[in-house]
Amino acid sequence: MSDRQFGLVLALPAIISLVLVVGIPGIQTLIYSFQRVPLSDDPATFVGTDNYGKVLGDESFVESLVVTLQYTAGYVLLATVLGLLFALLLDQPLRGRGIARALLIIPWATPVIIAGVMWKWLIDPQVGGLNAVLFEIGVIEDYKPFLADREWALVFTILAAAWHQASFSALLFLASLQTLPNEIVEAAKVDGATAWQRFRGVVFPWIRPMLLVVVVINVIYGVLQFDTVWVMTQGGPGDATTLLPILLYRQLFIFSDIGAGSALAVMLGVVAVLVSSIALILLGRDDPLQA
Amino acid sequence: MASRTLSRPVLRKRAVTALLYAALVLFAVWVLFPFWFLVNSSFMTPAEAVAVPPHWIPEEPTLGNYSAILAGQVAPGGAQVGLRVLTALGESFAVGILTVVANLALGGTAAYSMSRFRFRGSRLSYFSVLFARLVPPIAIVAAFFVALRDLGLINSRYGLVVVYISFTLPITILVLKNYFDGLPRELDEAALVDGASRLQALWYVIRPIARPGFIAAACLVFLESWGEFFYALTLTNQLTIPPVLAGFRGFFQFNWTTLAAATVLAVVPPVLLALVFQRYVVRGLAQGVAK
Repeated sequence: MSDRQFGLVLALPAIISLVLVVGIPGIQTLIYSFQRVPLSDDPATFVGTDNYGKVLGDESFVESLVVTLQYTAGYVLLATVLGLLFALLLDQPLRGRGIARALLIIPWATPVIIAGVMWKWLIDPQVGGLNAVLFEIGVIEDYKPFLADREWALVFTILAAAWHQASFSALLFLASLQTLPNEIVEAAKVDGATAWQRFRGVVFPWIRPMLLVVVVINVIYGVLQFDTVWVMTQGGPGDATTLLPILLYRQLFIFSDIGAGSALAVMLGVVAVLVSSIALILLGRDDPLQA
Repeated sequence: MASRTLSRPVLRKRAVTALLYAALVLFAVWVLFPFWFLVNSSFMTPAEAVAVPPHWIPEEPTLGNYSAILAGQVAPGGAQVGLRVLTALGESFAVGILTVVANLALGGTAAYSMSRFRFRGSRLSYFSVLFARLVPPIAIVAAFFVALRDLGLINSRYGLVVVYISFTLPITILVLKNYFDGLPRELDEAALVDGASRLQALWYVIRPIARPGFIAAACLVFLESWGEFFYALTLTNQLTIPPVLAGFRGFFQFNWTTLAAATVLAVVPPVLLALVFQRYVVRGLAQGVAK
């Protein structure tokens, strides 16, 4: 067997697997999006672009799109900025830094769904502590069922997801910061640069490729967020937290409309792939770790 | 006064250091505070858990919530809750381990091939892995749902493992390819010169040296699998632990404290895994996700 054949044989099982569990389901979903799919084994019928028209024409779609954009904006901002601040803090030569870095990994290792359960618990007026704390320091006058309020529900479903994701961002920023050669920072110090000047002139340019990676990942996770919302509010109160993935779930599994659900899924998938492809092109050959 | 004798730069530096430590404390609160009331409640009786204002520490600590789950008992006030949680934790372990094993076998060989050999379609293979990495799981759920339903594999452990390969295998391949790329080719060549076959070189020379890469990939895949919620919700009948936790609803129909204990039991394995293998995981994360 030649090297070429050997390489192909080694790669083939994985490639076939990916075709079976990503390629074919992807194409099948695309096909469903142009069909009416019955609940039984009866054959599906082609309906052209009816499913897309149905999804886009539904007024709950527009509402959901607006909520999703609000959610994503808050989520990306919080997860990215907090992540950057955590990384900069844990890059300082402080005592206890080792323990703090171990702490940093905990929210990331906590599954998003569990972060949702925990935050729901934390802000609950019956069993949680946040109400008690806010009450004691005088921020609120009475215990509040936060998730029953449209705006607070959005805020806290964002916070729960961002609590997990800020750690993820920080881990990546920290990895990038650790490849920044110390001599460059020291040289800037010797030249009399202030901390802010060092950040703007040296640190920030260094981590910019990683910033792009983190923002893109966070945008995609924001647009596709399902777990915290499902466990905390199920999309409510009303439709206040009905993100597009919640709408997708309803189409597929509540209304059992495989066609319309697939149309929405295809649109979400295309957006996700496009956003990350554009980022990959923008990034070019820049290595975010510069190692 | 001592402060008079200190120069302004020294004072400034001390103030900055104090601020940094204050930030470090705030960071620790951000990470740990959401856990507090959950862990707290898990050691309480149902009556104490709903006390207003909440108790910061259990006054009558009890292990009853944990023993009810671990003994698979029917918890007071909730039908079969303990048994369901215990079974689901077991299934989560089974699905996680099977997914890891499949990933290492399929991904290990493919990553080695993509790192070392050029063959017809090798670039295409690599790009298909990158593309598969970008396809969001939620976008192809409809096809999985219909296929598993028609095959009678809804709620099947093995069905779920196959589905989980779709989003874990690209991660494994990217992490391992990156690791193999860092190992000198001379290693393989020396083994070949010594009379080993290419397969023997991979198994006896590369596999032991690449252990950190395999550990990183295995941890990442286990964490992804353990916390996966959307597929587990839609393709099984609360088979693994995430949908069981999310399914605890109508909180007053059972006791809250069992949910608290169940959530703690569900969050300990991934956090422990991430902490024990912190170095490997962070490296794998940075190199597999960001590159």
